Amino acid sequence: MILHDEKSDMEMRRMQRAKRFGALSLALTSVLLAAACGSSGSSGTTSGGGGGSSNVLVGAGSTLVAPLMSQWEPDYTKSSGVTITYGAVGSGGGIDAITSRAVDFGASDAPLSSDQAAACKTCLQIPWALAATVVTYNVKGVDDKLKLTGPVLADIFMGNITSWSDPKIAALNAGVSLPDTHITPIYRSDGSGDSYVFTSYLSAVSPDWQSKVGASTQPAFPTGTGAEKNSGIAAAVQSTDGAIGYVAVAYIASESLNEALLQNAAGKYPEPSVKAITAAAAAVTEIQPDGSVPLVNPPASAPDAYPMSTYSYAIVPQSSPKAEALKAFLTYAITDGQSFGPDLGYPALPDAIVTNDKTEIAKITT
Amino acid sequence: MATDLPRQSITLPTRGRPRIGDLGLRGLAGAAAALLVVVMVALVYEVAREAWPSIREFGLGFLISEDWNAVTNKFGALDPMWGTVVTSLVALLIAVPMAVAIGLFLSELAPRALRTPVTLLVELLAAVPSVVLGLWGILVMGPFLGQHVEPFLKDHFGFIPLFSGYPSNQGLLPACLILTIMVVPIVASISRELFLSVPGELKQGAMALGATRWEMVRSVSIPQVSGGLVAATMLGFGRAVGEAIAVTQVIGGTLGIHWSLFEPADTMASRIAAQYAGTATHLQRASLAYLALILLVISLITNIGAQLISVRIQRRMQGSSA
Amino acid sequence: MSTEMSPNPFTNLDPRSRRRRRWGRLMEGLASLAALLAIAVLVILIASVARRGAPALNVDLFTQVDAPFGQPGGGIENAIVGTVIMTAMATAISVPLGVLIAIFDTEFAPARLAFAIRMTLNVLSGVPTIVIGVFIFGLLVVGHGYSAFAASVALSIIMLPLIARSTEEVLLLVPGTLREGGMALGATRARTVVTVVLPTAFGGIITATIVAVARAAGETAPLLFTTGIFANAVVTDPSHSMASLPLTIFTKSELPDTHDQQVAWAAALVLLVVVLVGSITGRALSLRTRRQIEQTR
Repeated sequence: MILHDEKSDMEMRRMQRAKRFGALSLALTSVLLAAACGSSGSSGTTSGGGGGSSNVLVGAGSTLVAPLMSQWEPDYTKSSGVTITYGAVGSGGGIDAITSRAVDFGASDAPLSSDQAAACKTCLQIPWALAATVVTYNVKGVDDKLKLTGPVLADIFMGNITSWSDPKIAALNAGVSLPDTHITPIYRSDGSGDSYVFTSYLSAVSPDWQSKVGASTQPAFPTGTGAEKNSGIAAAVQSTDGAIGYVAVAYIASESLNEALLQNAAGKYPEPSVKAITAAAAAVTEIQPDGSVPLVNPPASAPDAYPMSTYSYAIVPQSSPKAEALKAFLTYAITDGQSFGPDLGYPALPDAIVTNDKTEIAKITT
Repeated sequence: MATDLPRQSITLPTRGRPRIGDLGLRGLAGAAAALLVVVMVALVYEVAREAWPSIREFGLGFLISEDWNAVTNKFGALDPMWGTVVTSLVALLIAVPMAVAIGLFLSELAPRALRTPVTLLVELLAAVPSVVLGLWGILVMGPFLGQHVEPFLKDHFGFIPLFSGYPSNQGLLPACLILTIMVVPIVASISRELFLSVPGELKQGAMALGATRWEMVRSVSIPQVSGGLVAATMLGFGRAVGEAIAVTQVIGGTLGIHWSLFEPADTMASRIAAQYAGTATHLQRASLAYLALILLVISLITNIGAQLISVRIQRRMQGSSA
Repeated sequence: MSTEMSPNPFTNLDPRSRRRRRWGRLMEGLASLAALLAIAVLVILIASVARRGAPALNVDLFTQVDAPFGQPGGGIENAIVGTVIMTAMATAISVPLGVLIAIFDTEFAPARLAFAIRMTLNVLSGVPTIVIGVFIFGLLVVGHGYSAFAASVALSIIMLPLIARSTEEVLLLVPGTLREGGMALGATRARTVVTVVLPTAFGGIITATIVAVARAAGETAPLLFTTGIFANAVVTDPSHSMASLPLTIFTKSELPDTHDQQVAWAAALVLLVVVLVGSITGRALSLRTRRQIEQTR
């Protein structure tokens, strides 16, 4: 069929190339399809994240625990050979991901609501970090450590106080010259445990806030600008004159942000230090039936307690195909892993919590 | 657009029964085409299925509700829809005249030597990934707008509601500009092809009657391609409506409807990108899928509409040349 | 337009009126300005990315993964590997399918069906990528977890219409005489396509692939839904989630740390270079292959 002229050799070669290319891509496609069917088949209905190998643990959630997690990842891999894949998508995302079993473990600063707990189908909440949410601000000419009270904070975030020179703020900060810059509240637009802690605190100290907005991982903030993740709030506050927002305590030091001092129930203004957070944890020792320990707004009997402290929880299914790997990792996190905390501003877990955690971890089976 | 290429149909006599080779390739190719249709249908079905809990709960009232509250579990599309409409319309308002002008430049007005390189440069603008555009928007353009341009606009034109409000590094204005940058190359390259397709006789006829080049364009070229320009605008609109990533980086993700372009806001696409990973309730996830369904419907309408227009133009052109 | 003879619209005006000429020149000037503005934006963009990303270009960037919270250093090795693997997988899926669809459309389908398929391709190419992300999320991620494979499927849906339409254009450029020649020599339709038409169109298919790859490498929205959570390590198993350049840029663009932002700029520079080089190569090649095919007429 091929007539011999100058073009025929080129055409023959092109023919062969085309055939080989076609065969190769068809082969590749079928191999990939086979691999996909294989892996999705082995995952089954209660699969963990991506594929069946148990030397990878996939988790998602809180950006508050993310700084700690980033220290745990390389350290734990060194000692155990298991790779930890963590996505800091926000506590809301973590709860969502573990509910749909897209990941092996979730991380949330907000405990599961009753609806979420039902949807998660026997998930355990295990506190594995102790931290705090801190109010941060950026006003030209105003130094660090401005004093605020809960009701004033609520007014700011409800839009009732719109200027930094407002008398209510000035009354708390005698001797500080406040410019009349417009206040821009910055809040978390994604599902956030820090939002939950922040709005729980505001709901506890301001009945107005409780009735108008309430506490949630994704509240409908009446005014202000949204930002995603702790890092987003830090970025937004830093770049906007007059901004006020809330971040996990680790981000204050790492981004050199200003921190506002909140008045606690005893009337004092403790800094969100390791000592103050530990005091809050010592004041609230009762573990709720669902495993959570709310630390927000501790009573006046704890004069040095920081009012917006919080535990961060690992959310794990009670039955998981990766039970052994999960148990090992969780045990590491609440024991050896805690040593990374204080440098970030996160105190180590109280002993009573660690003991209780170990009991909970033992409940995990395949 | 590929729909207007002439089809070469080879009708050759078939001898006897079809050969195996023919069946093999025809079957394989046909299966691929069938897969395409299946994917398209599956796409619409799956998005609708994910949105169903929200559709069932809110029905069409979703489209006019301003709620978006994970605590009370009430959601509505009006807020993000407003953002989508404002950003897309403003982007089109700026982009379409500019793009048509560029198309004219590339087809008629530019010196011949410049035409290919400049066309290439404009198409490269379309090739820039939206995340890179968003990075530039959030770290370079946004602060520039918020610290220099918006205060200037507010000082001098603050009586217009669009320019009231507090300057911010994020908001509707950077989003509009980002979308403009994305829409211009698309509409420009289509306009260029449209202007190139205007029959030479018509253009020369006008020039022979004494028109200047601009008058020729205005009285001959633009009316000739007006249908195509409408189609191009619809495609640009579809693109602007659907852009999620670059918009979510610069728009600030807030609730509420306000006139000011400076205020942070949200569009449907950017809300899906921002919230899908971390929804607090199932109804919220379904409501985001409902937003995706609305986007899908808008893109289907604009796309099919643009294609029908271009088919009609093609038929008219073939008819008139007969 | 009226069918009766309308008076010459230009005879009422002084043909050499300076006003008309000035007005015309103004309009032409505006058009040139518009083109200049578009090019200026492109130049500013590239310059911004280059200026801010270049300082961070070092060996570490390509050989290390992200540093832990608050610590300096680190790189985007896992992101580059991930993007390469996922784009390659998406290409392997979409190119055979796209070429087959184009063949079906040009060689086998009756006119109406071909029109319907072309319309479907155009409609699919207009679907916002975020909607495709939602689609694949529900289909492949729920219950199975994030995986590079799901990301590849999503990317291949985006690439498919590009490849199919471009391949179709090139196939239609192949003159009918070549096809008729093949069939006249006794080959089946299929054999003619595979041995005559495809090789002639091969260059065009490669070009279409390059352009589609450049497009897919930069897509972020589908990755958000399929590989939103990725390991801070190099991963090569497609059933696991992988890092990617677009997602790294997206995440780091919103971080306050200037070091993180610089990594974002560097990653954007890498991505931009790849995408722009791919687009330029694709278009330059496409002009050449079209000329080549037309010479075979």
